[in-house]
Amino acid sequence: MADEQLEKREPQAPPKDPVADRSMSALLMVFSILLIVTLIWALYDEVYGQRPWKSYQKEFVQLYSKHLEAIKPTQKGQEQAIRDSDDYRQLDDQAKAAAAEAAPRLTEINTKVSDIDAQLADVSPPFQDLRAKMAALQYKEDTTDSEGGKQYIRKQIDEVKAEPVSVEIHRDATSGQVDKKEVNFAQLQDIYTGLQSQKGQLISEQIEIGKKSAELAKERDRYFQQHLDGLSDQQVGGLLDKMKKFDYDIKQINLPESGVVDRCESCHTGIREPVTLTAKDVGNRPEFVSHPYKDLLKIHDPDRFGCSTCHGGNGRATTSVEKGHGNYEHWLWPLYAKENTEAGCNQCHDKDRVVAGADVLNRGKDLFQYRGCYACHRYEGFDRESDALADAQQKIGKIDMERDAHQKEIREALAKAGNVESDVEAQRLLHQADSLRQTIASLDANVDQLDIKSKYLMEDQKKFGPNLKDVKVKLKKEWIPIWLQDPQAFRPGTKMPTFRLNADQIKAISAFIWQDALEGPKPATQPTGDANHGKELFKSLGCLACHSIDGRLIDEGNKKLGGDFAADLSRVGEKNSFDYVVRWIHNPRERTAPYCPTEKRDLTPADYQKHGLPYVFDLDHSKCPNDGHELQVQNMTVMPNFRLADQDARDIATFLMQGKRNIQYPDASYMDDASLKEDGKRLVRTYGCAACHEIAGMEDEQRIGTELTKEGSKPIERLDFALLTKDAEAGVDPINGKTLPSPWYNSKGFFEHKLGNPAIYDRGKEKAPEDRLKMPNIYLEGNDVTALTTFLLGSVDTALPETMRYNPASQKKAVEDGWWVVKKYNCMGCHNALIGQDSILMGLSMYQGDGKEQLPPRLTSEGARVNPVWLLRFLHDPSLSDQSGGPPPKGSDAAALGQQPGLNRNGVRSYLKARMPTFNFSPNELQALVNFFMGASDQAQPYIPEKVDTLTADEQNVGRALFTSQAAPCLKCHMTGDPAHDVKATAPNFLLAKERLKPEWTRRWVVDPSLISPGTSMPSGLFKRDHDRWVLNGNLPPDLQKYDKDHVALLVRYMFQMSADEQKRLGAQLASSASKAAAGPTKTTASVNSGQGWRDKVVSSLRR
Amino acid sequence: MDWGQLWSVAAAPDNIPIVAMLFLVPFFTWMGFHQARANDKLVEQLEADPKLAKTHHRKTWPWNANWARDLHVWPYLLRIEFLAVIIVTVVLFVWSITLNAPLEEPSNPNLTMNPAKAPWYFLGLQEMLVYFDPWIAGVVMPSLIIVGLMAFPFVDSNPLGIGYYTWRQRKVAVGSFLFGFFMWIALIVIGTFIRGPSWIWFWPGQTWDHNKVIYEVNRDLPDIFQINGQPWKAIFGVVVVGLFYLVAGLVIHVIVNWSKFEKKIFERTSTLQYLTFQFFAITILVSMPVKLILRLGFRIKYVLVTPWFNI
Repeated sequence: MADEQLEKREPQAPPKDPVADRSMSALLMVFSILLIVTLIWALYDEVYGQRPWKSYQKEFVQLYSKHLEAIKPTQKGQEQAIRDSDDYRQLDDQAKAAAAEAAPRLTEINTKVSDIDAQLADVSPPFQDLRAKMAALQYKEDTTDSEGGKQYIRKQIDEVKAEPVSVEIHRDATSGQVDKKEVNFAQLQDIYTGLQSQKGQLISEQIEIGKKSAELAKERDRYFQQHLDGLSDQQVGGLLDKMKKFDYDIKQINLPESGVVDRCESCHTGIREPVTLTAKDVGNRPEFVSHPYKDLLKIHDPDRFGCSTCHGGNGRATTSVEKGHGNYEHWLWPLYAKENTEAGCNQCHDKDRVVAGADVLNRGKDLFQYRGCYACHRYEGFDRESDALADAQQKIGKIDMERDAHQKEIREALAKAGNVESDVEAQRLLHQADSLRQTIASLDANVDQLDIKSKYLMEDQKKFGPNLKDVKVKLKKEWIPIWLQDPQAFRPGTKMPTFRLNADQIKAISAFIWQDALEGPKPATQPTGDANHGKELFKSLGCLACHSIDGRLIDEGNKKLGGDFAADLSRVGEKNSFDYVVRWIHNPRERTAPYCPTEKRDLTPADYQKHGLPYVFDLDHSKCPNDGHELQVQNMTVMPNFRLADQDARDIATFLMQGKRNIQYPDASYMDDASLKEDGKRLVRTYGCAACHEIAGMEDEQRIGTELTKEGSKPIERLDFALLTKDAEAGVDPINGKTLPSPWYNSKGFFEHKLGNPAIYDRGKEKAPEDRLKMPNIYLEGNDVTALTTFLLGSVDTALPETMRYNPASQKKAVEDGWWVVKKYNCMGCHNALIGQDSILMGLSMYQGDGKEQLPPRLTSEGARVNPVWLLRFLHDPSLSDQSGGPPPKGSDAAALGQQPGLNRNGVRSYLKARMPTFNFSPNELQALVNFFMGASDQAQPYIPEKVDTLTADEQNVGRALFTSQAAPCLKCHMTGDPAHDVKATAPNFLLAKERLKPEWTRRWVVDPSLISPGTSMPSGLFKRDHDRWVLNGNLPPDLQKYDKDHVALLVRYMFQMSADEQKRLGAQLASSASKAAAGPTKTTASVNSGQGWRDKVVSSLRR
Repeated sequence: MDWGQLWSVAAAPDNIPIVAMLFLVPFFTWMGFHQARANDKLVEQLEADPKLAKTHHRKTWPWNANWARDLHVWPYLLRIEFLAVIIVTVVLFVWSITLNAPLEEPSNPNLTMNPAKAPWYFLGLQEMLVYFDPWIAGVVMPSLIIVGLMAFPFVDSNPLGIGYYTWRQRKVAVGSFLFGFFMWIALIVIGTFIRGPSWIWFWPGQTWDHNKVIYEVNRDLPDIFQINGQPWKAIFGVVVVGLFYLVAGLVIHVIVNWSKFEKKIFERTSTLQYLTFQFFAITILVSMPVKLILRLGFRIKYVLVTPWFNI
């Protein structure tokens, strides 16, 4: 037998069905769980993820409530303190007393009224029901056609009228007792109307009685509101309630007309809360703070303007901070960075040269003007004269062509008329010739007007840089190449930018400028003057308002002093010719040779001789001898004429020429090399020098820079980042390679880098010199870069409708237009023209302390103060003389300079050492300035002076007494015209008052001068309030004691009717009374200036 | 290697389907061929064993005794479909949460984008514009492609390989279709990832510099042979195109008749069918890569130049 075990063969398990037997549970489970997870994720994302504002609002409610709870006790305490104060108690007692007084009758009335109400409630329903029935019947009657029908309905009406109605009338409101009555309609009506009129009478009596206590209560509450700092306890409680019932939803401002939909407040929930919230108050969450400029929101209500109009960003986005702020690739208008917020202002205020409250933007606009950006880059509004002139010149040219064409036609017509056969035809041709002649006359009229317009425009047109046609008569030759190479080295802070020129280019440009300049006529040779006297004059005339100088030269420390509107004068001796400086200081507008824009050349004495005219050209002799068009007769500088005598000019020039360093200037004889001239000319054209400077042959050169009026709207694709694109997109600093916090591939980044280094976008490129970027180095500091960037970012092509933009009417528009002129001439160097602005002079040490008296007057209330007609005259000629200028008189020596109208005179304040110069404004600018001041003080134009009643003889005496009383020492300070007296005068002459001042302003001024002009030496508190009139504050002279009317009104009338005789009499009287009265210190009691002005005093006195 | 550039192109919302296509196309091609190989193996097996062929019902496995004869839709198909539904839903959820529909800035009619690219489904055509004249690339070629696809069933004389993946039994059809399809995808990929500003060729990872300036002067074939003036250029072009058709036709003929099987199919094909197939194959499948090489490699723009159209 075999030992083989039968191997049990396991039946092989049948193979599994690959489809039916495969379990998919694992996969299904895994993916089902995934599904649930993603579903929850999707739901979460939908409810919270895409709606972060929900959590923001929740957090805000928490934090805000916490803050409110924290301030509640302080506010409550404050409230309590006010309510406990004596003043409040007094007012409260008064109010309560009045209420108590009225209370009994009021309660009576109230009970009666409620009784009547109950009765009315009973009577009204049946009455109104019947009346309605009757009205319906009446309508039926009116609309029935047949008389019979009408009769029938009339009968019905009568029936209803006669029908008895039973009413139950309560006897009063509370007792519940009723009177039953049966009345017909007429009676019911009587009862009803009777009750109504009774009620009406009672109610009006109620109001009448309650009026006094209501007013007192209002005054008490007004006191409370004025003294409460913040919110009252009740208001805080109200806010807390509001938070408790907070509606968690998207907060949206929807402005259909501009398409603005702003949902910013959905996260920035605290921005308009009445409580001022700082980051600390809301748990260091800066998004919840209040708007930092709530006053701004009062004039730009977000419900009218939205938020994104000013700030940028994507108002509609709510899904994330980046989206909401527009900081993602496809939103072209991202939120302005904090330092550039004011760019948003410029969207609507683009025509405003000064935007109140926007300091960074204003600085940007100032820089744009004062650094001369507008000279190369056209910008709407800046340098408008050049564009208008070009326009006018074009028109004149066209008209000239038309005239020529007509002349030709006339000649042809006349010739034909001579040859033609028929009489009729000849007549027709002659008639045609006549019409053409008339047309030529009307064209001439048009040209006349354009000429006048051009004349004014030419007077107004100024160049940013000095006149280079004068270099041969003005400058030292060797200085020019040194200057071109590095202006900042010679004069740190100069406005001349540094062009990146190599030595050859400098040589060529210097040669061209030198050879292109005028040879003459040279300024008259001047004798040397007194440098010390010149230094004094320089310090005191007001030169430092525009110019700066090294303090050492004027013995005032060792820093640079003065303004930066005009050049620094520390090294004048190294560059200038003495004779030229003298002529310039004497009259900066005096030009070497006039320029004729139509002939396009400078006229020589020969041109004048040809027509037998003397070589005289000024504003009164401004026509070209060759063709009669207007000439440019002034140097195109804004520097005004200080009406100095010849000797003074020499003294100042001598002083300035002392400013120099002992430097050896290298030889520059190549500047006479004619072969360099062509190259130089080409370079001068390439770099656009003629935009800032007058250069012979290039007067009509256009600007070489890009127009920047809408630079902020330029698509990013059009800003050429060149090889720095990658660095910009990656946020890498191109110079030192460091990574910056964010990419700078946007307008802001472009501008900032460009302004910091204008050649930066040439980096890495190999370019021939003439192909390189032409914008020169301007050496701007960090803050200035921010200011200019803000300005440029705000220069946009706005999509806002006109109704949202700033389009002021008359007065504000006058201010808007006037600012351009004020800023052009730097009025703010000497004067305080804008509330809150200090002039340059105010910052100098020589005008501190006692020196304040020598400051030029504040102009913040000029419009309210002066008569516009007088102002026009004054601005035209501040010396208020009626002299005219002209060439030096015959027989004067060779060094004599032109005659000065108003020589050495200040028209109004001759006691001031500072000189208000003559600006030679054109009528356009004069008008703009006058309107500016009037508009700034909300004055109605035209000004119709108040009629000043003539004084009676009595009043004359009283006025005189007032004027010379101890309590009103007017003539101690005010000029009288007597030179001996005026040596110590510090205030204008009263004789000017009638023509110059406005009576209403004078009345306010005399009562509280320090309110109008803080720091004035005119004393305050000269008058005090006595019931309903102003009374002199001090011992009244006997004449005045008898006078029972308003002293201020009398004083002003007296002042406005003062004559020279009267003034002399006053002077004599004053001298005698001064000698009589020993030093009686009847001082004027100066009231503490609590800010309560004239108006407040009047109003509060009326109440008593 | 500018990864930033690569990422910005690949992650652009419009390009996500293309990136997906880069993975999906190879995957599905592989899957198709995987199944084709299994099917071909089975066919071999069945051809070798006729008895098995009689009882074979299932696609890939021989049927076994204890397996059900018919499988019901419920639950077997449905559960697979259910799983597919769940997976698709998960993908959709994740996609919609993470990727937002692209919304770019308001269009500015004064500012044209550079590059201005068509949507991805037309990018192939836009890329073809580089190689062909607009009339050809925009009108003729697309029409021929569509007509060709429509004509395919009529010129197809191969009775085998219908309804299942196979390579051995359908070499010509699958081959030509895949060639055309991959070429189309390639054109789209070039248009998406390679073509940058000014339609300049940028390799992946090269920064798309909008200021890039290249010097590439294209010439027409007649100009190279200094043939000037019509009708000489046209005649020359027609000759060249004619030659191209001949050569290409020969090449296709050789390729198509490579295996014995295909030779048998060839015998079944009528002249009209074959010529139609040749025409479409040459005009669409061969001319495209030839023109691409001519243009990119030799800077030759047009071969046939007439005042009305060029090729």
